[in-house]
Amino acid sequence: MSTPIIRAHGLTRRFGDFTAVDNLSIEVLPGTIFAFLGANGSGKSTTIRMLIGLLRPTAGTIEVDGIDVIKRPRKVRDHIGYMGQKVSLYAGLSLRENVEFYAGLYDLSARQLAQRWGALRERFALGDTENEKAEDLPAGVRQRAGLALSTLHQPRVLFLDEPTAGVDVHNRELFWELIQDEAQAGVTAFVTTHFLEEVDYCDWVCFIDAGRLIANAAPETLRQRHSEGCRIRVVLPVEEQARCAEVLSAVGRPLGCDATSLQVAVAALDPQVLAALDAAAAVCPQAEIHIEQTHMTDVFRRVLAESGAAI
Amino acid sequence: MNWRRLRTLIRREILATFRDPFTMTILVTVPLAALLVFGFVLSTEVKGLRLGVVDAARSSASRRLIAELGAKGTFVPQPFNTRAALEAALVAGNISAAIVIPPDFDRDLRAAGVARERPQVQVIYDGGEATLAGNAEGFLRTLIANTSAAVLADDGVGAGRGIEVVTRALFNPTLDGTPFMVSGTFGFVLSFLTVLITAVSIVTEKITGTFEQLQVTPATSLEILLGKILPMGAVFALDVVLMVLVAGLVLHVWPRGSVVFFVLVSSFYVLVSLGLGLIISATSATAAEAVQKSVLFSIPLVQLSGFAFPIRSMPRFVQWIAEVFPATHYIRVSRAIYMRGEGPITLLPELALLLLFGILLVGYALRTIEARR
Repeated sequence: MSTPIIRAHGLTRRFGDFTAVDNLSIEVLPGTIFAFLGANGSGKSTTIRMLIGLLRPTAGTIEVDGIDVIKRPRKVRDHIGYMGQKVSLYAGLSLRENVEFYAGLYDLSARQLAQRWGALRERFALGDTENEKAEDLPAGVRQRAGLALSTLHQPRVLFLDEPTAGVDVHNRELFWELIQDEAQAGVTAFVTTHFLEEVDYCDWVCFIDAGRLIANAAPETLRQRHSEGCRIRVVLPVEEQARCAEVLSAVGRPLGCDATSLQVAVAALDPQVLAALDAAAAVCPQAEIHIEQTHMTDVFRRVLAESGAAI
Repeated sequence: MNWRRLRTLIRREILATFRDPFTMTILVTVPLAALLVFGFVLSTEVKGLRLGVVDAARSSASRRLIAELGAKGTFVPQPFNTRAALEAALVAGNISAAIVIPPDFDRDLRAAGVARERPQVQVIYDGGEATLAGNAEGFLRTLIANTSAAVLADDGVGAGRGIEVVTRALFNPTLDGTPFMVSGTFGFVLSFLTVLITAVSIVTEKITGTFEQLQVTPATSLEILLGKILPMGAVFALDVVLMVLVAGLVLHVWPRGSVVFFVLVSSFYVLVSLGLGLIISATSATAAEAVQKSVLFSIPLVQLSGFAFPIRSMPRFVQWIAEVFPATHYIRVSRAIYMRGEGPITLLPELALLLLFGILLVGYALRTIEARR
């Protein structure tokens, strides 16, 4: 198992008598997408601000990419990219001028900038808008531009604080694809969001409530723990049902059937289930397979309700 | 008009006002502070002014005159042996005005009823501070006339033709108020405008999120601070040059000292003042709060810095408060260069104070914009 690229232990932040973050410990593996969830005021932004060195914790330790953030907050800035809740483009400057500004701060040479921005502009579909003023950019484009800017200097860790807030569904999907591309390229993404369905784009989920960590697991694990699992429905002609049922029996769960489909409930989409579904698709090519997972909102409702229980 | 809607709106506004501690503080303290400051500082009464006295007569009449001048509380007489020492004290600002009583004052006073020449008392003041000089001169004339009449009446002599008061201004003999105001206006404009403009800069960036983004980049706090104040400083330095030209060409008021020195000092002062603006900005939550703080800052600036009202005529404790404002020292330097043609050597103490203010304010501004809290 690889060494975590983000480690926080016993992280606590108090503002007077109010404890915003309470004894939080997390570890994030490199190249993964880590979702940090919580309601408004739960301590998400305070945590992310401590992790990037903008806020000194009252107690605890933080290490990002091997750097002690508390002792050397400036050192970590070359290793991280950050995109805040408000996309930080300077009004009055064109997108291109904003890019040049941030490139200057990261000390990129003209050649490095041309190379890097050339690639990002194409990948993030920003070519048509780079000469437009920041304030004239549509929300989706601004969001993509913000992400492009935060990756301009090729950081090893990306901290994204509610990056998809205020963006339409299409652009949110596009945005998550870009984040996944970054992760595939080896970048670690630490993302806060309150769109619970976005958790499915992530490798790991933490849920924070009133400053305390109440869930810390892979999305599938959380589903298994806090829901009845998935319901699989295979729609196919009635004459095919027997052959398909034989294949699906490998799942080891009782099958239901009606005139148009077979149904089975499983705890998780584990390899055994996926193999059985592959076999069913091979045996009955005309079958339509529908998987209904418990919605993450319901999972987290249960997590919240059980928040006194062990995580 | 929907009264219910109106009542709802009014209620919300009242609640918002009462729940905002900053607004409440302004609403309560500013009127009281303004009342006190206006009452204490802006009174036209001339009181407790240090009056240099060279008494060459050393007679009973001259001593009585000096005692009368001190008795009303308007002046605090301070004796000088020579006229040169007296003028040096006046230039240095240690005294506000001075009188010189000639050796034959007694004889001339008593002969005033019959002789052709009236006894003379010379009043000397710094004409640079035209308002103060005008007020002081008026008071001195009245007091001297009253005292001489009383002395003569006590001696059983008629009022005669009184004492002739001969005035002499060390600078600005015509008591023209324009150079005084022009040189002071540099202080007011550079202080108020720099603070106002910079006060909204960081807070606006905080609101739009660019400041947080900036703090996560490798840029240091010093770089961020300099990135703010240097371009702004350059613009204001150009403003200074423009103001010097307009004051000279339109108002015919040119610095008596070096223009280059004046522009250099003013440019440095702009940086000091921008530091103060950044502190206000970095410690404000909203742009409105930053503007309110800037306006609050401008009230004592007008009243206490000597821009409009002479510090020498303020109560002593207010004078101490005035010394805390960098603007006070800059306006002093500005007037010294503009009206008395002074250079870096004589202004060294004031320049050193400005430097100290600069270090303190810019240093504190640096701390306020430091990323970690």
